[in-house]
Formats: sequence, C-alpha cells, structure tokens
Amino acid sequence: MSECIVVTSGKGGVGKTTTSANLAVSLALAGNKVVVVDADIGLRNLDVILGLENRIVFDLVNVIEGECKLKVALIKDKRVPGLYLLPAAQTRDKNAVTPDDMRRLVADLKKEFDYVLIDCPAGIEQGFKNSIAGADRAIIVTTPEVSAIRDADRIVGLVEAHELPEPMLILNRYRPGMVSRGDMMSREDILEILAIDLLGVVPDSEEIITSSNRGQPIAFDDDSPIGAAYRRIAGRIQGEDIEIPDFTPKTGFWPTFKKWMGLSGQEAY
Amino acid sequence: MLDVIRKMFGQPSKGNGSSSDAKQRLKFLLVHDEVALTPAQLDMMKNEIMDVIKRYVEFDAEGVEFRLDKGDGHIALVSNVPVRRVNNTRD
Repeated sequence: MSECIVVTSGKGGVGKTTTSANLAVSLALAGNKVVVVDADIGLRNLDVILGLENRIVFDLVNVIEGECKLKVALIKDKRVPGLYLLPAAQTRDKNAVTPDDMRRLVADLKKEFDYVLIDCPAGIEQGFKNSIAGADRAIIVTTPEVSAIRDADRIVGLVEAHELPEPMLILNRYRPGMVSRGDMMSREDILEILAIDLLGVVPDSEEIITSSNRGQPIAFDDDSPIGAAYRRIAGRIQGEDIEIPDFTPKTGFWPTFKKWMGLSGQEAY
Repeated sequence: MLDVIRKMFGQPSKGNGSSSDAKQRLKFLLVHDEVALTPAQLDMMKNEIMDVIKRYVEFDAEGVEFRLDKGDGHIALVSNVPVRRVNNTRD
C-alpha cells in the first residue's frame, strides 16, 4: 500500500526541504520506492539539497500542463535504487497548479511508488493548499522557538480542518545542551503545548550545512548521528517501533577539551 | 577560575533560564491566536466590563485579574475582581 506524506511547517527556514530530502533518502535506503515532489513552485530548492540540480529538464508544471509525460519529468537519483525527484518549476508561480491537479498527480504517483513525499512551501496560502490536497498524512517540522511553534500550532489546526489524521511532529535543530541549561524549550515543553505525537528529534548540527554545500544529504552518511536520526524517523514512518534517544550531550573532560581545541565545533551525541 | 575548571570537567554552566520565558510567551500567543483576540482588544473588553462593574460595586482596580486561560481543550476567560464594598447607593 502506498502513502503520500506532506512535510510542512508554516514558518519558513525551519528545515522542511532538508527534512524532505533526508527522509526520502532514508526511506529509499530502507528498500522503498520513493518519489519526493518539490511543491515550492517559483522557489525550487529540493533539487539543490539533493544535488540533482544539473539534471532537471522538465518540472511539475510541465507535467500538469501536459507538456511531458510524468515518467519523463522524474529524475532518478543514482546513489540509491528507488529514489526519484519531481522538481518544481522555477519560472512560474503557485497559481499555475490547483489542488485538483495535485490530487490527480499524487494518485498517478501512488500507482508507481511506495512513498510520495511532498515538500510543502512556507506559508498557508495556495502552495500549502496544493501540497496538502493529495496527502494521506502530514509531518510538521518545527524548531524549539516561539515563532516556529506558534506557526506549527496553526498548521495542526489547518491539517485537521482538511480532514487528514492528526499530524506528527519532527523537532528540528534541537540543542540538548541549551535545554539542560534552561535556555531552550525541552521536547516535553513543546509536546505539552502542541499536543501532537512526536515522530522524531533531529539535533542541530554543522553537518547539515556541509552536506547541503555538497548536495549530499546527511542520511547517506552511515557514521553521522544526524543521518542516523533521519534513518530512525524513516523507520518510524514505516511503522517500526524505534525509541527516540534524548541526545544528552557527552560531558566530561575529553569531549569538552576537544570542543575547546576546535576539534569538534559542536556538541557530541 | 573555578568556573573554568568546572567547564573543563564538563559541568554545564548555568544559563539564564530563558526557556521558561519562551514557554510562557508561547502559551499566551497560542491562546490569543485561537480566540482571534489581540492583547489590546482583550484590554478594551476588560475596560468596558470594569466600567459596568463599577456601577454596582467598588473594587480595587490594581488587583484586577483578567486573562484567557487554556484548560483541557477549552479556553476560559478568567477574571478576579477584588470587591471593596457593595455600592448600595446606585440609582
């Protein structure tokens, strides 16, 4: 049975596209046939995060307007079997697509793929309505900040108004060191306020920047704790029962000494 | 110096506890978002209601509490007006 999942947040810049890319990679690494759709028409970025920007010929709007076959527009990722990207149009605007178009597109994709991931644009207007139209469930990405959680709360309401099941939360850019110092809301605080289920926690890391520099999603990296966090989330999406670790930073002499010496620029997990 | 040694051995240094500010501000925002009433509008409502109360009783204006509160799935308007004495001479 195939499933369409929309990755959304309300607020921009919380990591929707990075999350979509890494979950798509992780689901494909687990042996699924996955397509990730960039629904941010006019501001496409998912191709860049995936490192596939040089291979785009056709896009989502071309498919919807019947200028090319769906299969022709899909870009196959050569690093893992079963991973495909449907890029957004860069030169059009969000009104080029309607919710009905998206419902038809998703229905076609679900015939071919186990998972259809939709990378939703920021905001709650047309792009959001398009993204959510064909989805079976929603993942909300937020960061531990007042503004991001406020927007996430609004999205929870909108998702439920669209008669989708209760969305699940990914808490991104979490900094356990700051939480233990009392300078960041804890995941318990955030779950208490949003009252939805937690799908996963992704700690803040410089690795996200370096991986986006290279167009190589961190989920490909077997040794990265951040990559492992994404792979665990993908496992939970597939219905596996995997515990969410608490990411307490390693303290003690050596980790602290290394951090001082600049050997690792961040908290170790 | 002690602080430096503490840091060396990985004892977390004390933050300024800003997360509780964040949580409080967030709760306040979400309640106001849900009822679609800004703090300024809530204040207007409070003033109008207090004007009515004033016609019947004398109260301590400084001690008035007036806020939105989110309980189990519902939002309540909570107010506490400390009455000084009942105004019997109303016309």
